[in-house]
Amino acid sequence: MIFLTLEHILTHISFSVVSIVIIIHFLTLLVNEFVGLYDSSEKGMLTTFFCLTGLLITRWIYSGHLPISDLYESLIFLSWIFSIIHMVPYFKKHKNYLSTITAPSTFFTQGFATWGLLTDMHQSKILVPALQSQWLIMHVSMMVSGYAALLCGSLLSAALLVITFRKVIRIVGKNNNLLNDSFPVDEIQYMMEKKSILKNTFFPSSRNYYRFQLIQQLDHWGFRILSIGFLFLTIGILSGAVWANEAWGSYWNWDPKETWAFITWTIFAIYFHTRTNKNLEGLNSAIVASIGFLIIWICYFGVNLLGIGLHSYGSFTLISN
Amino acid sequence: MDILNPTKPLSSSLFNTHFRKPTLLLNSKILKLKPQIHTLYSNNNKTSGLSVTIVTCSKLKTSKEIKDKDKNASGKILLSNSAPPVLSEESGGGGNGEKVPVKTGTGALGFLKRLPRKVLAVLSNLPLAIGEMFSIAVLMALGTLIDQGEAPEFYFQKFPEENPLLGFFTWKWVLTLGFDHMYSSPVFLGMLALLGVSLMACTYTTQIPLAKVARRWNYLHSADAIRKQEFSDNLPRASVQDLGVILMGSGYEGLAGRFSPIGVHLAMLLIMAGATLSATGSFRGSVTVPQGLNFVVGDVLGPSGFLSTPTEAFNTEVHVNRFYMDYYDGGDIKQFHTDLSLFDLNGKEVMRKTISVNDPLRYGGITMYQTDWSISALQVRKDDEGPFNLAMAPLKISGDNKLYGTFLPVGDVNSPNVKGISMLARDLQSIVLYDQEGKFVGVRRPNSKLPIDIDGMKIIIEDAIGSSGLELKTDPGVPVVYAGFGALMLTTCLSYLSHSQLIASFCVHFVSYSGKSKIWALQDGTAVIVGGKTNRAKAEFQYEIDFLLDKVPEIVESSLSKQSDVASG
Repeated sequence: MIFLTLEHILTHISFSVVSIVIIIHFLTLLVNEFVGLYDSSEKGMLTTFFCLTGLLITRWIYSGHLPISDLYESLIFLSWIFSIIHMVPYFKKHKNYLSTITAPSTFFTQGFATWGLLTDMHQSKILVPALQSQWLIMHVSMMVSGYAALLCGSLLSAALLVITFRKVIRIVGKNNNLLNDSFPVDEIQYMMEKKSILKNTFFPSSRNYYRFQLIQQLDHWGFRILSIGFLFLTIGILSGAVWANEAWGSYWNWDPKETWAFITWTIFAIYFHTRTNKNLEGLNSAIVASIGFLIIWICYFGVNLLGIGLHSYGSFTLISN
Repeated sequence: MDILNPTKPLSSSLFNTHFRKPTLLLNSKILKLKPQIHTLYSNNNKTSGLSVTIVTCSKLKTSKEIKDKDKNASGKILLSNSAPPVLSEESGGGGNGEKVPVKTGTGALGFLKRLPRKVLAVLSNLPLAIGEMFSIAVLMALGTLIDQGEAPEFYFQKFPEENPLLGFFTWKWVLTLGFDHMYSSPVFLGMLALLGVSLMACTYTTQIPLAKVARRWNYLHSADAIRKQEFSDNLPRASVQDLGVILMGSGYEGLAGRFSPIGVHLAMLLIMAGATLSATGSFRGSVTVPQGLNFVVGDVLGPSGFLSTPTEAFNTEVHVNRFYMDYYDGGDIKQFHTDLSLFDLNGKEVMRKTISVNDPLRYGGITMYQTDWSISALQVRKDDEGPFNLAMAPLKISGDNKLYGTFLPVGDVNSPNVKGISMLARDLQSIVLYDQEGKFVGVRRPNSKLPIDIDGMKIIIEDAIGSSGLELKTDPGVPVVYAGFGALMLTTCLSYLSHSQLIASFCVHFVSYSGKSKIWALQDGTAVIVGGKTNRAKAEFQYEIDFLLDKVPEIVESSLSKQSDVASG
């Protein structure tokens, strides 16, 4: 009982903190004078991270197994990974725009997990025989980390698309100073510099210049985070295959969930291939990554919604009484 | 224009090093040397044999106009420590549409000669490969949307001709294209095969340039050779690693970044080969065996393809010694186990193991999985008669909840409306008993020996006998597939790491095959000798090299390093 109460408290704290962080984020976007707010939002994310960690540990102790065995737990785990992704650049003293993606992502996953419709899933359940394996930790944690990183990366790519297709970006124009401060400009900056000198092409206006720089940033960070997500996804799928060969009798069963994981993998493989080709890179890879965003959600949610196949542990019904 | 400041510090970790800033050279013991000396050196002393070949990658050019302008001027820089490149970089893939003068008389022959090269060029075409991957993804998605493995009648109903899906998709499509068994349909397998061929072609065509580059390294072992390059430079007190970090951070790629995609491709091919072997050379079968009974492995297994050949181990007889379940406190099934004994032809026990879900038995290439269970019989004693064995029938097997039932007739068995006691069980823990009217009487545990009184009869449930659902297989493809998995994991990690600057500080050999300028670098004692060569505008390349080399930090003697750190800090 004490565990349940603790879990309840932690859930609510983390969710409220994330909500506040989001509001702060919007405020800093609108009014760039509040420099202190940025720091407080970082502290808020830190609080969220510790709450979620506490939540997961509580659940672990309470249920006796790693709390990633059903959809609710994996959603909590997903928002935990988002908060980690959020904090990595913070600890490296890099400020970047990843946080504008990760904070709302944490908010939404956390919100959905604690959403009223899914309350009946909140009780921790017993582990069915097939899940009692050491592979559970490796497979599920890798898959969910992969999903989290790929979601962030594909959102960055989607942002790139939006910015590219919009004629004028008011925020960028207005907040030159802010952007200038917050870009972790190492490589990109150098490249810009090189290009400008070599080609003698200076950008006609600062607005276009910052827009170009923002696109470069999005492309760069999108690629980096998608790379690590792809790595996690690969390890997750492979460990899943090895596990399946221990539990289900074959390393590949064409189960809907694993098929969709493979589709996701293929889509992001296409993304990395489009980047190697000069004629296809840039926008095309961003489009592929944005398609990947939908595919991940189908893989992560859609298959569970249908409740088909061997991965039925996380299935749920939306109309529940 | 703060960003144009070239003295901006690099993020990489540089131990015991200084940046070549004049302010850091206040210490008189540090020699200040001119960063760029474009002279030829004749000393041919010990060189450490480190060679770095780095090529600009086009990834970082994103502005369209820059890209267009730069199309014919991408840079390639090779760093190495000896002989100059003998072979010029050429696209070895054969896809460059080179024109071979063919005489009219030998036209047909010439065409035949060029055919493999053309086919290779088409197959290694990137858009084609992307198209293949995309189609495979779409087919797989279709495979999850269309119910698989149903009878034709199901598809007649689901995709009727009168009301076609999207205006054209009817059962005819499903059955003709084999979409009712998507993952073994000719369309899907053909697509996979095509992708495999593309992978091979791509690997082959990228392998050639890499081999050429590797051959060229052999010529690049002397400092002389580097100094004979179009551009050469000498950096005293520098390290090749630092240079590598700088070049990697500036859009150059190293060896790992070039080799790992090929590794990924080879791993994929290995997995595909293993999967093919699995599909053609394995045996599978499943069996439900009540506790205490035997079966012969060969009777259960059925071949899956033309390569499936039975082995000695197929004669093994398997005896199910015991089947039992573990339960949670709440009564749910935790795990189920089967105690198996294996006997060879002579009746000698060769192996004994208790298997469970996630813990299969492996013997002589055969794997036995615990996959299912059922209840086969109840041993019942009625008024101290018996015990009788009552066979249990499955009443509900859909979903996760199983229900088995049996019936003990009471009175005249031959009468038309025979009545009796019904017994139901969800698992081996407890049996629910109902009387002749169908009213609930009670629950008994099988081994409690506690009698229950139903209509004056004393019923004792002696035991509930379970059946173990086993799945057997032999799969010669597993080792190959696992090797592919290992390789894929390794090469994916490598590709990821090759993008990080961290790895650049450990790698010394860098190579690339795209782009047009190269840089070689060689560690010669404390100095780094750098040479470059380009096909694009010379002045631009010179500028770029100078710019990059300016950033290479100078190494300070370790005794001085602390001091200087303090000074600079």
